Amino acid sequence: MIQKLLFRNQDRKQLIIAMLGAFMGITFLIASVHYLIRLNEFGQGSEILGPNTIIVQKKVTNSSSLALTKTDFSEREIEKMEKLPFIEKVKPVLSNNFDVSFETADPLVPRFRSDVFVQTVDPSFLDVHSNKWHWKEGDAFVPIIMPRDFLVMLNTFMSASNIPQISDDLAMDIRFKFTVSNQTKKVWVDARIIGFTNEVSSILVPESFMAYGNEQFSLGEEKKITQLMISGKENEFGKVEALLKEKGLESKNAQMVAGRLKSVIGTLLLVVMGISVIAVFLSGLVLLQYMQLLMSKNEYEVRTMMRIGYAPKILIRTFFLYFVKIFGIIAGLGLGSFFILKYFLDEMFTTGGIYLNTSVSLATFLVLTTVYTFFAIASYRTASKGIHRHF
Amino acid sequence: MKITLNQVMPFPLASMHHGEHSIWGKQIELLPGNKVMLNASSGKGKSTFINTVFGIRTDFVGSVNFEATDSKNLSTRDWTNIRQRKISAIFQDLQLFPSITVKENLLLKNNLTQTFTTDQILNFLDFLGISDKWEQQCGLLSMGQQQRVAIIRALCQPYEWLLMDEPFSHLDEDNTQRCLKLIIDRTEEQKSGFVLTSLGDYHGIQYDQTLML
Repeated sequence: MIQKLLFRNQDRKQLIIAMLGAFMGITFLIASVHYLIRLNEFGQGSEILGPNTIIVQKKVTNSSSLALTKTDFSEREIEKMEKLPFIEKVKPVLSNNFDVSFETADPLVPRFRSDVFVQTVDPSFLDVHSNKWHWKEGDAFVPIIMPRDFLVMLNTFMSASNIPQISDDLAMDIRFKFTVSNQTKKVWVDARIIGFTNEVSSILVPESFMAYGNEQFSLGEEKKITQLMISGKENEFGKVEALLKEKGLESKNAQMVAGRLKSVIGTLLLVVMGISVIAVFLSGLVLLQYMQLLMSKNEYEVRTMMRIGYAPKILIRTFFLYFVKIFGIIAGLGLGSFFILKYFLDEMFTTGGIYLNTSVSLATFLVLTTVYTFFAIASYRTASKGIHRHF
Repeated sequence: MKITLNQVMPFPLASMHHGEHSIWGKQIELLPGNKVMLNASSGKGKSTFINTVFGIRTDFVGSVNFEATDSKNLSTRDWTNIRQRKISAIFQDLQLFPSITVKENLLLKNNLTQTFTTDQILNFLDFLGISDKWEQQCGLLSMGQQQRVAIIRALCQPYEWLLMDEPFSHLDEDNTQRCLKLIIDRTEEQKSGFVLTSLGDYHGIQYDQTLML
């Protein structure tokens, strides 16, 4: 009866426009938040290097081949790069200064031996547990991260020898060994693969193993730093790319493409999110303004009800519930259309070769709950102010 | 509940000349259970008096006390409680809701306090000769019919005082007497009092107190 009295003769045009705005705003807001999170997660876990990380080296030109220009990095260059605002961290990639060969050491696998090149990077760049990534003299084996190309090469050898090829998981169970040597001495150290990488072309070993080799089996002159590992800030990959161009640096194309793609889509999603926030905010304001208008139109009814004994809180609750129900419907519809939109977008991403996590992120619901809570608080305050003014 | 007016003078009436017997600016006590007649000609402030006691108007000097409490110190919750349980009012402009039916107008009030059953309310309407208007939109009734609906609405709650601002202005003598009977029966049943404003007509009742403006 109270509703019939207070919500009759509404001009619903403004209400419908505000509802449409809020519906679209909410749909795009939760969609952009969801995809921003999923995009940032994209690539994590599948690659042993952390996200937004690339390995760079100076471009080799004719002049550098003739030793007229340097291809190594000085301490000063590294420090300068570290200070740039869009760079998270910069660390040198250290290489071996000792002879090292790598061979299979498992009775189930035929012998395969090759001279190799090992490198080490700061552990903070690696997406591996620190308890797996350590070595000290006397340990049963050295943990290594193997370039996937190396496994492909190993499988090519297996195939040519009519031996079954090995998978990633199986490779991690096979025992290998390093032969570390210089002109005067030689040792054998067992090794085990703990992960693979597409980004690094050499075998990665823990820093302590590299230090041991370089100390005990040094070939003389200290090795120069020719590669750096750079981690850029989220969605600022464009600036990293510009830096590489400016400094004449190069990186693996795949790393660049992935970083650029993430950066572009991330920026687009941020723009959509910004517009959606504005749309939701403005629609919320229009809804609140509509509530004020409704209270003004029904000023006589509101005032008279309080004169015949109705408590302001009953009237506040009536207006408040009416509008939070409307916003609840909008939020529900927004969530529903997000799921429909998500279905098509996930299909598009998959078709395009971008395999994002398809489960709905918790942040989506958190954003929706936050928006709803803000609107509920604002509508209660508006209703309370409007009703008490008529008392 | 004793109501005391201490030197109350509404701002709009401050510049007017008030007679020797006018209550404005004087100390007046309305004792529980009294039948009070407030007699004055037009423009002397009868509605202002009702609205001031009922808390609608606060533009006055002096104070209105309910027992020992100054009405200006009452909270919104206190006023709601007073309007639900202690003071009921029949306004001169009736303040019904014209867009809803007689039934809805009356139940809207009765549902707050659950004072009567629907049958009892229908009996009141029948007694006042408007039971056939139960489902009719209030705004479509004549002023006299609306006045009777407003009287029944005011009775649909417990009260210690019933404030009536020229409640029979559109009623003939027969309907006035019927309304008065209903009002007096309900008031005496609750051992309550009432204030009736009038332009001079005493409606044949014995009053405990007569006030002038």
